[in-house]
Amino acid sequence: MNVQIDTALKRARGYWFIDGFTEMAAGGLFVILAGILLFSGYVPQASFLPWFLSVTGEIVIAKLFGILVAILILWWLKDHFTYPRTGFVRGKRVTVMQILVILRNVILFLFLPILVLLAASLLIASARNFLASMPVWFPVGLGLIWGGVYLLAGGWMGLRRFRWLAVIMVLTGIAIGIWQFAIGLPTFPSNIQSGIFQPIVFETIRRTLISLCFLILISGVILMISGLVTFLRYRKENPTPYAEES
Amino acid sequence: MSGSLQNLSGLDRVIHEPARLMLVALLSSVESADFLFLLKESGLTKGNLSVHLSRLEEAGYLRADKTFQGKIPHTEYGLTAKGRTAFNEYRKRLDPIIRRLRR
Repeated sequence: MNVQIDTALKRARGYWFIDGFTEMAAGGLFVILAGILLFSGYVPQASFLPWFLSVTGEIVIAKLFGILVAILILWWLKDHFTYPRTGFVRGKRVTVMQILVILRNVILFLFLPILVLLAASLLIASARNFLASMPVWFPVGLGLIWGGVYLLAGGWMGLRRFRWLAVIMVLTGIAIGIWQFAIGLPTFPSNIQSGIFQPIVFETIRRTLISLCFLILISGVILMISGLVTFLRYRKENPTPYAEES
Repeated sequence: MSGSLQNLSGLDRVIHEPARLMLVALLSSVESADFLFLLKESGLTKGNLSVHLSRLEEAGYLRADKTFQGKIPHTEYGLTAKGRTAFNEYRKRLDPIIRRLRR
């Protein structure tokens, strides 16, 4: 009986993903973000700071605008397609405190370690080697984290396809890491000059961004495919709105 | 009779009925849902579903928010605080019983 209760709980939790629209929208957004990163990563820039600020600015704008547009499109699609077929579900409200906790965790466990590493690379020689290998370990690490998130989310919502997404993300991260290792890593001079914006650090960050953008791109494409397959299956199972069935 | 099996007699009978248990479980992880969602997910007939929803509403476990979408009436069902507490309590009581029966 407890298994049935769990199944019911998970089905309600995962309802937002029942039609595949969310995955397609998220995938599309990832592909756009990857495109911005890829384009910016390959454009030669005179100095690090203007380049970094311009990329960051573009990504923040694309993210905010993209998320807003994606949500509006999702609402419209669900309103006209999903809700008339399988009903409406209002998810639990996310509190401000919960958002703050998520933000805190992202800063603590993702951004802060990277910033500490960047700072340490200027002072400690061994950290420089670690920083130089960032294009390898960053996509591998992010692929693992991403895979873990998919796995947990899939388990929480009872979505089996998320397990496959998790496996693909981990393998993609590893593949990108191997690719970056194979093409050779930037080497730091033993006597590093002051300032983070020197070319070698810039090159490491640029290569890492390229790794990241391929990871996001592949993730986006996979999400779009997964969403499309889910959508086709959903449409096959629910060809007409409920009112028209009776 | 062992302590955990004695819990069986203390289970909330409003929730314990399989169809209502399914409805409460579905609603426990969301803010609210409409009749169509509950109909599709539970597999009940319209009449049966209405009866069970009414029973839950009478017990104070369910609230029905009636609105209009254009000219079409739209009702969303959500668990009340009492309903959520009752469901959590039900699961707490049920867990040791199931664990004991599995041994």
